[in-house]
Amino acid sequence: MNEYLGIAVTFLLAGGIVTAMVVLSSTLGKKKPTAVKLAPFECGKDPFSLPTGRLEIRFYLTAILFILFDVELVFIYPWAVVFSDLGVVGLIEMVIFLGILMVGFVYAWDTGALEWK
Amino acid sequence: MSGPTLADLVLLVPELILTGTALLLILIARRIRGTPAAMVATVVAALVAGLASGWVVSSGTQSGFGGMFTVDGYSQFFKVLIAATLALVALLSARRIEGEQDSPGEYHALLLLASTGMMLAVSALDFLTLYLSLELITLCSYILVGIRVERPASNEAAIKYFLVASFASALLLYGISLIYGITGSTDFVAIASALSRESQVSTPFLMAALGLLAAGLAFKIAAVPFHAWAPDAYQGASAPVAAFLAAGSKAAGLAVLGRVFLVAFQSEAEVLSLLLAVLAGLSVVVGSIVALSQTDMKRLLAYSSIAHVGYALLGLIAGTSEGVSATMTYAFIYVFMTLGAFGVVIALGQRGEELEGYQGLAAQRPLTAALMLLFLLSLTGIPPTAGFVAKFVVILSAVRAGYEGLAVLAVACSVVTAFVYLRVVVLMYMKNSREPAPASYPIAVSVALGVTAVITLVGGIFPGSLVRWAVSP
Repeated sequence: MNEYLGIAVTFLLAGGIVTAMVVLSSTLGKKKPTAVKLAPFECGKDPFSLPTGRLEIRFYLTAILFILFDVELVFIYPWAVVFSDLGVVGLIEMVIFLGILMVGFVYAWDTGALEWK
Repeated sequence: MSGPTLADLVLLVPELILTGTALLLILIARRIRGTPAAMVATVVAALVAGLASGWVVSSGTQSGFGGMFTVDGYSQFFKVLIAATLALVALLSARRIEGEQDSPGEYHALLLLASTGMMLAVSALDFLTLYLSLELITLCSYILVGIRVERPASNEAAIKYFLVASFASALLLYGISLIYGITGSTDFVAIASALSRESQVSTPFLMAALGLLAAGLAFKIAAVPFHAWAPDAYQGASAPVAAFLAAGSKAAGLAVLGRVFLVAFQSEAEVLSLLLAVLAGLSVVVGSIVALSQTDMKRLLAYSSIAHVGYALLGLIAGTSEGVSATMTYAFIYVFMTLGAFGVVIALGQRGEELEGYQGLAAQRPLTAALMLLFLLSLTGIPPTAGFVAKFVVILSAVRAGYEGLAVLAVACSVVTAFVYLRVVVLMYMKNSREPAPASYPIAVSVALGVTAVITLVGGIFPGSLVRWAVSP
C-alpha cells in the first residue's frame, strides 16, 4: 500500500493547489470585467465559429499520413535500442514491417493523396 | 528473445495468404478499377487459404509464437468457414461493383484483412492476440460499412457502428486488464491454472471482469442488449457487406466466446453460463419479436441474425465440449443460410431491399423465389433443411445442461420467427407483382447462391456430416 502513498499525496497536492488558486483569485482578486476578458480564451483570437464547424478535409488527410510515419518511428526507436541483441532476424522483421507500411505509402502516393489540390 | 521460427510461420500460412493478397490489391488498386481482377484474386486467395487451413492442421494441435497462437481442430473448422464466407461474399459483391463505380481493389483488400483478423481471432490463445485481431476485424468493418461515401445512410451507419464498437472494445479491454490484474497473465491456459489454484474465485473483481468480457464480446456478435448497432449498420451498409458482418463476424465472435469460456474460464462456468443464458434468452425473444415489424429486408435479416445468435449461444451455455460442438454446427449452418438469404437480396438489387419488392416474385423469377423459400425455411428451422439440424442440436444441448425453460422459450420464439419468414414467402407466392421483373444478375452471384443452397440442403439431409469436424478446443 505504501508505494501508492506518493500518488495519493500528489493527487492531494495537485487538487489543493488548483482549488487554492481558484478560491484565492475569486475572493481576493479585483474584478474589472470587460467583453474581451469574458470571452472564451482560444489561442489569442476571437472564437468566431462553432467548434463543431467544418474543417478542410485535406488537413485530416495530411494528419493521417503523418501518423503513418509517426507510428513507424515509434516502432523503430525501441527496435534500434536493442538492435544488436535481435540480430539478423530483427532486421528482417523490421524490413517486413517497413515494407507493409510502404505499401500504404505507395497507395497514398498512387491515389494522389500527397497532392494539395 | 528470439524471433519466430519457420515452424511458427507455417501455422500462419492461411493468414499470410490473405494478407499478401490484400497488400497486392492495395498496391495495384488504381490500375484494376472497373475490372473483376480484385474479385477473382479474393476468391482464389480465400479458396487457397481455406485449403491451407485444412492442410496445415492435419498434423494435430500445434501452437506457436510463445503459446499465443494455436492451430487445432477448433480453429481449423472456423478458418475453413471464414474462408468460405470470404469467397462467397466476394462472389456476391460482383453485382454491387458492376452497378456503381467504386473501388474494388480497396473493398476486397478490406474484406481480406477483416477475414485475416477473424482467422487470427479463432486461433488466439492470449488476450492480447485476441484483442488485436478483434480490432483488425472491426477497423476494417467500419470502412466497409461506410465505403459507399456518396450515400449519406452509409456514412451514418459507419459512424454509429464506429462509436458503439469502440465503446465495446473499451469494455473488452477493461475486462482483459482486470483479468490481468487478478491472475497476472493474459494467456488463456495460465489464467485457467491461476484461477483453479487460488481460492479467491468469485471475488467482485473477477465477476466484474467476466461481465465486461462477456459484454464486450456480446457487442461483437450483436447479442441483446448489445445489439442496437446491428440493424442500423446492416441497413446502411451495402448488402454484401451486411452479409459479411452477419455471417463472418458472428461466426468469429462465437468461436472466440467458445474458446475463452472453455479454455480460460472453465472454473467460472457457473457464472458464465448464467450470463450467456441471459444473453441468449434476450436475443432470441427480442430478435424474433422485433423482426415482426420490419419492412426493410436488411433490417429484418439483421433482427433475424440477432435471434440466431441467441440460438447459437444456447450451445455455449452448457460449457461442455458437446455444447461447443453444437454451437459450431449452428454457426456453420447459420453462415450459409444467412449468406444465401442475403444473396437473394443482393441478386434482386434495389427491389430486394424492401419487403414490398418480394410481391409476386415467384411468377416472375421462379428459381430465385424457390431459393429464397429454401433459405427462409432453413432460417425458420423446418426439416429437411440444415436450419432444423442446427436448432435441434443447440436446443438439445440446452436441455441437457438443465436449462429446460430456456429451451421451451427458444422453441416458442421459433414459432414467432416462422411468421416473420413466412410473411416474405406469402408475398412471393400469393401476391401479384406491381413491378416489372428484376434484371438478371451476374453469374458470380448465381454461383454463390448455388453453393449456399446446396450446403443448406445437404446439411439437412445428412445431419451427421458435420459432427466429425466440429471438435471443441
